[in-house]
Amino acid sequence: MKLKLDKNELKPFLQSLIEDYDVYAPVELKEGVSIYKKIDQPEEINLNLLNPQKPVKEVFFPQSEVMLRYERAGKRSQVALMEEVVRERVIFGARPCDIQAISVIDEVFLGKDYTDVYFLHKRKASTIIGIACNHPLSTCFCSSTGGDPFSRKGSDLFFIDLGEAYIAELLTEKGMAFRENRFFKEASSEDLTLAQQIEEKASKKTDASLPIDGIEKRLDQMMESPFWDRIHEKCIGCGICTLLCPTCHCFDIMDEDLAGKGQRVRNWDSCLSTLYSQETSGHNPRPTGRERTRQRLMHKFNYFLKNFGRIACVGCGRCILYCPVNFDIRQVIKEIQKAGDS
Amino acid sequence: MIQQKIREKAKELLSKKEVDLIIGFGEGTLPLRATPIFIRTPEEADRLIWNSFCESNLAIYLHKFSQFKVGLIVKGCDARSVIALSLEKRFRTNPVFRIGVPCQRMVDRRKVKKAVRGEILEAYEEGDQIIVKGDGFQISLNRDDFLYHSCQVCTHRNPTHADLLVGDPFEESPLLEIPPEVREFEEMSSEERWRFFEKETSRCIRCYACREACPMCYCRECFVDSSRPKWLEKSLSPSDLQFYHIVRAYHQTGRCSGCGACERACPMEIRLTYLTRKLNQDVKELFGFETGIDPDAPPPLSTYETEDRQEFIK
Amino acid sequence: MEAHWEPKILAFLCNWCSYAGADLAGTSRIQYPPNIRVIRVPCSGRINPLFILKALQSGIDGVLVSGCHPGDCHYLSGNYIGRRKSATLKRFLEFLGIEEGRVQFSWVSAAEGGKFSQVVQEVTEDIKRLGPIKRFVKNRVQGV
Repeated sequence: MKLKLDKNELKPFLQSLIEDYDVYAPVELKEGVSIYKKIDQPEEINLNLLNPQKPVKEVFFPQSEVMLRYERAGKRSQVALMEEVVRERVIFGARPCDIQAISVIDEVFLGKDYTDVYFLHKRKASTIIGIACNHPLSTCFCSSTGGDPFSRKGSDLFFIDLGEAYIAELLTEKGMAFRENRFFKEASSEDLTLAQQIEEKASKKTDASLPIDGIEKRLDQMMESPFWDRIHEKCIGCGICTLLCPTCHCFDIMDEDLAGKGQRVRNWDSCLSTLYSQETSGHNPRPTGRERTRQRLMHKFNYFLKNFGRIACVGCGRCILYCPVNFDIRQVIKEIQKAGDS
Repeated sequence: MIQQKIREKAKELLSKKEVDLIIGFGEGTLPLRATPIFIRTPEEADRLIWNSFCESNLAIYLHKFSQFKVGLIVKGCDARSVIALSLEKRFRTNPVFRIGVPCQRMVDRRKVKKAVRGEILEAYEEGDQIIVKGDGFQISLNRDDFLYHSCQVCTHRNPTHADLLVGDPFEESPLLEIPPEVREFEEMSSEERWRFFEKETSRCIRCYACREACPMCYCRECFVDSSRPKWLEKSLSPSDLQFYHIVRAYHQTGRCSGCGACERACPMEIRLTYLTRKLNQDVKELFGFETGIDPDAPPPLSTYETEDRQEFIK
Repeated sequence: MEAHWEPKILAFLCNWCSYAGADLAGTSRIQYPPNIRVIRVPCSGRINPLFILKALQSGIDGVLVSGCHPGDCHYLSGNYIGRRKSATLKRFLEFLGIEEGRVQFSWVSAAEGGKFSQVVQEVTEDIKRLGPIKRFVKNRVQGV
């Protein structure tokens, strides 16, 4: 179902959402720096950056999350689990790549063998309002990874910016629950035609040329290749790519304790850090950047594909934009394919 | 042209096998970026470039390649980092061959990005201008208005003690004596300064890019990873974010060359150099020490004078 | 409750001079405020700035570091090294916005029981005036 929301109705629409839901949207922390945050007022939303630095996965899988709290009371302990989500949520302004990435994380956190209750509760309680990318960046390569700047996959509602108004597509059961919403109007055929034109233009803009086909097989043959000796050289091992990546999902669990009272916290972790794979004995199976860079690329384009049937990359381009030394995954993919030739 | 000279010298050094590899800058894949490159044959020397986007401090790679004879492209600040590292005895096996390039001051790509509307697709330098092109726009910017903070106040642009100097030294005077923000900051009350620090560090995502981009951060076990004692947690609680930044900066006392690589690496644009600048100022005022100038001056916190100032001690 | 707040102050005292001086104050029955908790260290030069930061983060309202007078260090130069660390750390903390007076330093010799109690008196008054520490404290078990 396709409806329309005039831009001058956007604030009241969001205000009404805020009354009934916890609304998460991109918020600018500083010019050029945004994250997804729970908003109290519609004015806090800022869509200036195509994609905030931190991806939308944070709403379902916070960087630091308290899992439980405990307090020793005499000989017993009181433990409070923190998995419940109190209020229903709406996520407004997520881009197709970030939304696609949630389904990548779903494979791991809501898989057949294991369910992450913290993730599950948030996922169940959320309605996702995606926004199409009218002006993808030159670093966007979603269309090389099975995505598209106008992909509706994973969105409950999908907004398309026409300039003066948004087209609001109601896609799922959660989306259809908005069909009586008082701010939505009927969309005219002109509106829909305009949306179509914008979509056609945008879909051509993202880079669909990356040679991702067959990369799994290439990598299978390359485990001991001297290719890895060189490719990792400039990587400084900071972790920006892993933390800003919408599909990365590794975490570490720590107990923070003071005199019998404390909390168990999980924090995002990065496979590029030295300690990530270090064992208690002191042995580290990935002792240098060479092994860690190899691991990152193998995980994204080989192991994940083997385990879950798709690559763990949605082409958002954040790793390219924010890497301090301009390590460019697009270049690396091309070189992997070339290296396989020799 | 500096770039041509760098390539020639690199070819020479590699042909004569005076170095095993040269670490310098190559063309980036994004506008306004250069990228570190590692070349081992004279033929590869033509990949070396020099422009105002060569912002990284390449001394960070000396730890990784310590078993090789390295030829390193260094700006003024980078050269001072190398001296600071040699004071800490990091180059026992192989001395570093410093190819010094007097620095024309580096361009702040974020400032440039904020000055235009729309994505930048191409950028290059033309004289004292930066030409910036995007979809439907082309604009010419005054290079001097778009420099990094740390570069504007730099008084040591010429690499000290370089083994080879490519290009003529610049006159050592800063573009700005004291940046207006610093003066403004010093006039803030204690509470206002804390709120500023709190606000800046609240954006931190513990990526440690600041640490990895810094040549002086090379500890096998960073204080962050210490579990006995556990100094701080790895979560995003405001206090732990503040703890991390206070200590990382403080660990640079008497060691920081003021290159600004930390601030440039930060994806959340946290202001970091104002902290190390203060530490450098204090070290100069209290002990007369400036990082990387005198290769024989011991690191200030590893030594003492019997007459050091102590008016603050009861 | 602010009205009945008593500051908690950590005092790092070097074993050979300041700790002995504190001991002398005690045996001489010189009164000083009970707000300090003493941690004995071999030398004021042993103080890792992280001790001071950890203390403040844990909610300690003030820190005193006390060592031997210059020239009298049992390890000859430990207090000189400590002096440089103290100077730079103190300035840095104040620059950051930790209130001046929360972290203080003194030279107290083994014979200066009177001085020790006076220093503690002054430091305690200073911290009382500053109030309980709010900046930088980790609010434990508050969530992240």
